[in-house]
Order: sequence, then C-alpha cells, then structure tokens
Amino acid sequence: MLTQLRSGINDPVVPFIANSMKTRQELESKLRETFKLDGFYDDQWETINRILKGERVLLIEKTGFGKSLCFQFPATIFKGITVIFSPLIALMRDQVKKLNGLGISAKCINSEQTQEENTQIIADARQGKVKILYIAPERQENNEWMEATRLMDLSMIVIDEAHCISVWGHDFRPAFRRIINLVKLLPTGLPVLASTATATKKVEADVASQIGGNISILRGNLLRENLNLYVVKVSSVDEKLIWLGKNLDKLPGTGILYTGTRVETEIYSKWFEHLKLSTIGYNAGLDKDSRIAIENGLMNNEWKCIISTNALGMGIDKPDIRFIIHTQIPQSPIHYYQEIGRAGRDGKPAFIILFYNPEDKKLPEAFIEGGRPSIQKYEKVISAIKIELFGEKELMKKTNLKQTQVRVIKSDLIEQRIIREITIGRSKKFEYIINAPLINIKAFEDLRNTKKADLEKMIEYVETPHSRMKFLCNFLGDVSPHQFKNCDNTGLQKIKVIVNEEWKEKLQAFREDYFPTLEVESKGSNIVNGIAAGYYGFSNVGAALHRSKYETKEDFPDFLLTLTLKAFRKKFGKEKFDYVVYVPPTSSGDLVKNFAIKLSHALKFPITHDLIKVRQTREQKVFENGYLKTDNVNGAFSFRQPGLIAGKSVLLIDDIFDSGATLKELGKLFTNFGTVKIAPVVIARTVGGDLV
Amino acid sequence: MNNESTYWIALAHLPKWGYGKINSLIIRFFHNEKISIEEFFNLPESIWSSIYQLDAQDIADLQNAKTELPNNAFLAENLLSQGFELIPLTSPEYSKTLKQNLKTAHSPALLYVKGNKQLLHENTIAIVGSRAAEGISLEFTDNIAKIASKQFKVVVSGFAKGVDKQALDAALKYTGQSIIVLPQGITTFNSGFKTYYKQIVDGDVLVLSTFHPKAVWSTGLAMARNPVIYGLADEIFVAESGDKGGTWSGVIDGLRKGRRIFVRQPEPNENNANNLLIQNGAIPVNLHGAEITNMAYSNQTETLLSANGQLLLNDKINDVIITVLNGSPLSAKDILERSKLDWPESKLKAYLDNMEEIQIIKRGQIKQYTLKESLAKQPTLFG
Repeated sequence: MLTQLRSGINDPVVPFIANSMKTRQELESKLRETFKLDGFYDDQWETINRILKGERVLLIEKTGFGKSLCFQFPATIFKGITVIFSPLIALMRDQVKKLNGLGISAKCINSEQTQEENTQIIADARQGKVKILYIAPERQENNEWMEATRLMDLSMIVIDEAHCISVWGHDFRPAFRRIINLVKLLPTGLPVLASTATATKKVEADVASQIGGNISILRGNLLRENLNLYVVKVSSVDEKLIWLGKNLDKLPGTGILYTGTRVETEIYSKWFEHLKLSTIGYNAGLDKDSRIAIENGLMNNEWKCIISTNALGMGIDKPDIRFIIHTQIPQSPIHYYQEIGRAGRDGKPAFIILFYNPEDKKLPEAFIEGGRPSIQKYEKVISAIKIELFGEKELMKKTNLKQTQVRVIKSDLIEQRIIREITIGRSKKFEYIINAPLINIKAFEDLRNTKKADLEKMIEYVETPHSRMKFLCNFLGDVSPHQFKNCDNTGLQKIKVIVNEEWKEKLQAFREDYFPTLEVESKGSNIVNGIAAGYYGFSNVGAALHRSKYETKEDFPDFLLTLTLKAFRKKFGKEKFDYVVYVPPTSSGDLVKNFAIKLSHALKFPITHDLIKVRQTREQKVFENGYLKTDNVNGAFSFRQPGLIAGKSVLLIDDIFDSGATLKELGKLFTNFGTVKIAPVVIARTVGGDLV
Repeated sequence: MNNESTYWIALAHLPKWGYGKINSLIIRFFHNEKISIEEFFNLPESIWSSIYQLDAQDIADLQNAKTELPNNAFLAENLLSQGFELIPLTSPEYSKTLKQNLKTAHSPALLYVKGNKQLLHENTIAIVGSRAAEGISLEFTDNIAKIASKQFKVVVSGFAKGVDKQALDAALKYTGQSIIVLPQGITTFNSGFKTYYKQIVDGDVLVLSTFHPKAVWSTGLAMARNPVIYGLADEIFVAESGDKGGTWSGVIDGLRKGRRIFVRQPEPNENNANNLLIQNGAIPVNLHGAEITNMAYSNQTETLLSANGQLLLNDKINDVIITVLNGSPLSAKDILERSKLDWPESKLKAYLDNMEEIQIIKRGQIKQYTLKESLAKQPTLFG
C-alpha cells in the first residue's frame, strides 16, 4: 500500500527553490529580460532544466561555453540565495561586477576584503538581500560564516572549478574537502552544480563519486580550433631569453608568459625591462592592490605581456588574450590545457607557444619526487599530535620542520584520516583521530606514479609528430574524429631559435646589471631593503661562494667584490654610510670579515669590528623553519660601543641571505642603539626560503 | 549514518516534541515501515497523515523542520569536521543501557559525542552528589571511582563541581575511563576538549551531549542532563544529596523507575538528605561502597514504598502486560487470566486503554489488545 502511494507521486518535491516558471520559452523570455541574452544553447538548457528539478549536475565544458549562466540564471529565479564556492578571487570579483551591472544582487566574500566588508555581506546574505554569493571554500572554517549559514534561506550550492575536489586533478585543494562533506549532507531536492573546464575521465569519476547522490554528468567537447599550438625546442635558458627578447613585440595583441617559479618570473621581467619591452611581473606573493592593478591592466591591455607563475589568469574573463607562452613545461597535459585555455576565448586565433629544453624536466620531476617529506617526518608529526593539541606554528617548533613540509604532511594526514584540523576559538589546531589507521605509503606512491606518468605524457606532447590539439583532447577523454590543422605538426610553420653575437652580448650586459632585492623592511625597525650581487643558483655567484666556504677556505674571489660593489651602486648610488659592519661568523671563519674590509676600502667607509655574538648560535641552515631561525638569532648579538653608531648610518655586510632572520634581528638591535639607517648588502640570495 | 545527520538534527530538536513523541515516530518509520529517515522526510504530507497518523500541527512542524535542512547541513558538516559524531537512536552504537533505563518516553533521540564510543557499551557506574560536597563525600567518591576503575567499569560523570568532577578526576587518576555528560551543547565545551585531549586520544574519555550543539549551559539543561547520567549507568552511587536540587530529584526519579541506587550511609552528625533517600528505597553503602544490611532501614523502606508506590507499581504492571501480550492479540479476559492480576475486568480495560504501548483491535463485539508492532517485532530498539 505504501509503495503504491509513493509511486503515485509524479510531481517532484523541490522544496528549497520554489518557482512557478516551467517552460523553456517562459524562461528564455526571463533570460532576455535579466541577462539580455537571446536564448540558451541546448547544452545549457539541459543543465538548467535539471537544476530547476532540484537535481545534482557535474558539468564539464570548455572555457567560453557559458558555464556560469547555468547557475547564475537559475539563481535569479530561486527564492533563496545561491552560494558559489570558488577558489579564484579574481573570478569572483569579475563575475560579481558583471552581475551587478545587470542589476542582480551578487556579492563575494574573500580574504582580500576587510573584515567589516565581509561581515556586512554575511549579514546581508542572512537577511535575504543577496541573490548570488561567491565565497572561497576556506571560509567554511570561519565561525561568523558558519553562524550565518544557520539562518540563510539557501536555494542552491555551486562548486566552481570542481576538479579541485580531486587529488587526481591538476589543482587539488584541501579546502574543498569540507565542501564535499557539506554537499553529502545537503538534503535531496536542493540543487547542486559542480562545474569545470578540465577533467580527465578519472577526475570526472572521482568528482562524481565524491559528490554522490545520483549526480548526472554532462560533458561537452573540449577542442579549441582557434588555438595555434607551437613547441620550441631549445638547449639553454639563453635561447629562450633571446627568442623572446627578439620576438615578443612581434606577436599580435597582448598575452601572458608563464614561468616555472617566482624567481624566474622576476628574471624574465627584469630582462624585458632591460630591453625596454612593455611587460610586468605578477605572482601570488604580491600584495592585493598590486595584484588587482595588474589584473585590471591586463584587461585594459596596458602591457604587451604579463609574466607570471600560473597563479594569474585562472577565471579571468578576458576574451582577447592573443598569446600564451610557457618557458617551463607544465606538470601534465591537463595543467597545460587549463593554462592555454585562457587564450582566445573570443574564438579568434591565438598563439600558444611552449619552450622545451630537456633540462626543464627536472623542475616538475623535483616537484613530484621531492614533493613529500620522509616517512620519519610524518611519524614525528603524528607522535607530536598524539600528545598535545598543536597549531601549525607550535608544530613547526616542536618538530623542527619547514612550514611547507608541515603543510604537506598535515594535508596528507588529513586525507588519510589520521588527523583532523579543528577550530578552537579563532585558532586552528590538529587533532589525532582515535583509532586512526597507520600511514598508507602506497597511496603516496600511487599518486607519485600517476604524476610521473602525466609528466611523461606532457613530454609526449612535445615530441608527438601528430596533431597536438587531438593529443590534448584524447588525454582529457574527449575522443573526437575531428581533423585538426592548428599546430606546427599539421601545417603551421615551426619556430626556430637563432642566436647571434649581438643578442649574446645583450644578455651578458643584462646579467652584469641585474641584482636581487632583499626585502627586510619592517615597522619599528630602521633597516631598509638591501641588495644582493646575484641569486645563489642563477649565475656563477653561488658556486664561487660555495667553493670558498667549504672547499678552498680562501677569501671570496675578486669578481664577487666587483659585482657586489656594482650592486651597491645600483641600489644606493653615491650615498655615504658612516660605518661598514659585518655579521660575525658562526663557523666559516674570517671570510665575511675580510670581504667587508675590502669593501670598506673600496667604498672608503670606515669599518667597525664591534658587532659581536653574545651567545653561540648555530648555523641558520640547520634550522628548517623560519620560526626556529628567528629563535636562533633572537638576542644573540650585541655591539661593543653603542655610542659609536647612535644617530649614524651603517652598511651591513653578510655572505648569504636566506630567510632574512639574521639581518632583521640586527636591524632591531641597531635601531635600539639609535642607528638611523641600516642598509644590508650580501653576495648571494638563495631561492625558496620558506618565509620569503 | 553520516549522510543522514542533517535529518537527525532536524528530528531530534523539533520544538515542543518530547523524546517520547519523537521516538515513537522513529519506531514507526524505522521499524514498522523500514524506511530511512531521509525517505521519511521526503514522503508527501498525505502519507504523513494517513500512515503515520500525524495531525496538522505535527505536519506543520515537520515541514518547518524541512525548510531548515540546508541550514542543518552546514551545521552537521561543521560538527563532523570538528570530530564530533552523531549517534541516533536507531544506531547500533547507541547505548543499550540508556535505552533500557529511559525507555521510549525518555531516551534522547540523538547523542552528540566525541571520544571513544566503545565506552557506551561497557559496564558503567555513576557517582553523583552535591556540587558543594567535600571531605568524606569526596573521599567516598574517590574510593568508588578507584574500585570501579579496577573492575574496568566506566565512570559516568556530569562534569559539575564537587562529586561529579571528583569522580571524573579519580577515574582518570586510577587509569580508568569516563563518560562526561555535558549540561550544554557539545560545541560549547572547547576548554574541556583541550584539558582532556590526551585522555580522549588515548580512548579513556567520551564526551556526550544530548542538547542542540550550540546550546549554552543553563540550569534547565543541567537538570535535563541528570536522567541521562542515571540512564547511562548500570549502577548509581550517591555520595551526598540535599533534600532538593539535581541529585535529589534525579535519585527520586530513578527510584520511581525501579532503579537500584546506592547511597553512602552518612555519619550521625552530617547535615544532608542521604538518610531520607535511604528511607525512600535507596540502598545504604559504607565508605567503600559495600552494602549495609540494616533491618531498621528495610522496614522503613517497606512503608515508604507503599506510600510512594503507585508509580512503581504501574511500571511493574506494564511490564507484566507487555510480557503477556508478546504474541497474538488477546482479550481483556485472557490478559487477566495469564497475568494473574487480581483486578476487575473493567479496571484492566480502562488501564489498557491508557497504555501507550497497546494497540486495540476490534473483532466484532470483542475488543482485543496487542502490542504496537514496533514493540513486538523489534526488540532491538527498546528491548
């Protein structure tokens, strides 16, 4: 009897979204009114129709398909609020601006707004004043947001960039874990849309099974015929620099140059600056205002080219990016597809250039191989967490592990359900899970092997003699019989690099004129940003230092002095300093002292030997994290004649700059003694210090 | 279960629905109709009213709860991510002791816990008493906790000052285990989770709350928590009680429900109500928890029992009737015969009409009585 009754119900129960419009015609007229668009594409309509029935949908469509409309439109006719979890702040800003332009009440909550702004938006959302709310998945950890969710009238949940859910994807983000758990707990009948432009079959299956609950998968074709794909094989960094120096300005329109690391971003920017090309560097470490300024500049074609790590461009809705160049091979074809997908959204041709030097494989390989700390380090973290509730900083101190390592370990242990991250008041702590399993090393190996195989596939892309677009589509699980003519294997002319003497000289001149900055300025200290003669790894500076310190034990070679003097002149010009001081050694003897004496002679500033250690410190490099480095030098120095430097300026000399902890400590010390300016100059700056 | 948390939160905290009403609904959909809570919530109103006999107000309450499901989903996600677990009445993880002691009428529909859930299935004792207790009462508490820990019994503590806290600390001191029953929502106990972190990780402590996770401490909740403490414990020891307040009303309530409760026999000069409890039927014990057989007390107990007896008696009669009816339907006459109750038939009929466990079936002129399906077929839920 019960079953009869239940099967007799035809009308689906859609309790959370209550709307009266039903037919496509009715809804398209609403679409014209609200979005000024003529109609839905059939694929869009299918998605929207399912959402209106309260279903769950995973939508995989290429960039430019109009995925956003699939949730923005239903959101405008639902009675409550639609919450969109998105990892991309730039995209949030962009879409909110557009929706507001159409008169739709959309807001975003993100870490770049002030707390007051976010609080106001949360209050508005609670009171039903916001129709569409964009929010970063990390916000799920925020108490204020959690309180508000108890009172909001919720109509739909959207997970944008849904591939971030999957560890098999190219951009797994742990914060999405909680979003998945949330979706699992949502009642039936509440529509959920997960969307992405890049998912292999494996990622697709993973995302669908994680979201669960009868999800339907809608997948479009992913080919992009307007992208002209080129691969340029080179045998050195110089060849890349030279080809780009010669040709960047000849490329049509404006575009993006992707590099492998932040330091490379800096090097390419400086090179183009040296050549007076209109470019600018961008990385995730920039402050908010600079990033927004660069993003806006990109939209307005202010520069020929923006040089960036892959942090830039995801989700930026610029239709006419005309070229995308990679100086470094990405980790997998899916990363590559994602990144080049940002070009030519307007359907007009775009240049897609990948430089490849067999050496380049080493960087992604290092990421894959060195990506994980040793098992002993995992065990160390587990034993610490078993005894006490620790936050990240406490854990770093307790285990003497780097922040990056602690984060990797933490993330893996959470993934394997050995620990969990909980919030107590405002602080995050790690908690051991009772009866947790042992670490599953095999899971790491599987992931590593998958990543290795993906990297091999990327190299196959470089080497393939066939259609490159077809190669990418196949990798993504989009098997199409289509014939492609849009790459240097299928009709387009191959790019070759020609190096001549003129350009070699230009490059040499650049190298001798390019010095990394030391960012050490901080409130309450009179230390100013300083300069280094070179990067430890980029030129021959590091090698020369290493030889003197650890092999010959002889004074640093003269070319380092020349280069350091040049760096000084570049940064400080003809500025006079009252004294040269140098950092007293830990174990390397008098190398720095002798170097400082020579420098003092050359610059004709008197030297003082009064900076001393009051307690023994250990070499900074033995400490893996910045907190311990700071502890190591904290209060470790003193100056024998404070009166000498009060009201004076000093030039502070050291050999290597890593975390900057020592120089900052000395900055504080001298400030306390009344020194008015402390300017650091070092021979080499390392790359990748964890607090930099 | 995890995916159903959203629905359980909605059902467990329906405003103005007591545990009895919520639990009998659970019994109906879970045992009678064999559907999940999610399916129950997705039934149309027509079925709620026809099959589940819910009236307009009940349905309005459920519809209201339904609109809040998305909000509950956020709450549930937050709870689970913070390591809290939800144990509904239907779960095998739910404490059988609690179910047996509190029955359908008083068992909380949903438990919020963090820690070693296995403790819910161990032998348990509660040591209860005044917040102001000191000296000999705390010594008694320490003794009992020590003995209990040696016997691998889990000490149930209400986490109040005085006896409760002493019981917990002593159990842990003697490497025993403890269930902390909170007088507040489980998310408002952060400092406690910090303090007992190591013990929780080691599996020696389970923290449990029956209230809405965000509820803050109040006297009302502290009182409402007492039956849960008594209900979770196989044995109850009273260190010290006044003649009113939480301990007193808890013990009296327990005695009414037929629980055996041990009370420390006070020194002659003590100013508390321990003797009064003993006179009301509690069993006197010495400083080490050993039973004291004392004729004077048992006589008094007899007299007081009959004065206080109607409630105790009703529980017993219910048990007898339920045992007799655990099979095919019977008429009132049959029941009288089998139960050997010395009652007139009319009295029994009136009594049966009022029993919530009973369903009436009309066979022509004759009224027959049977147990509601849930009770007869599914002894697992309330055995």
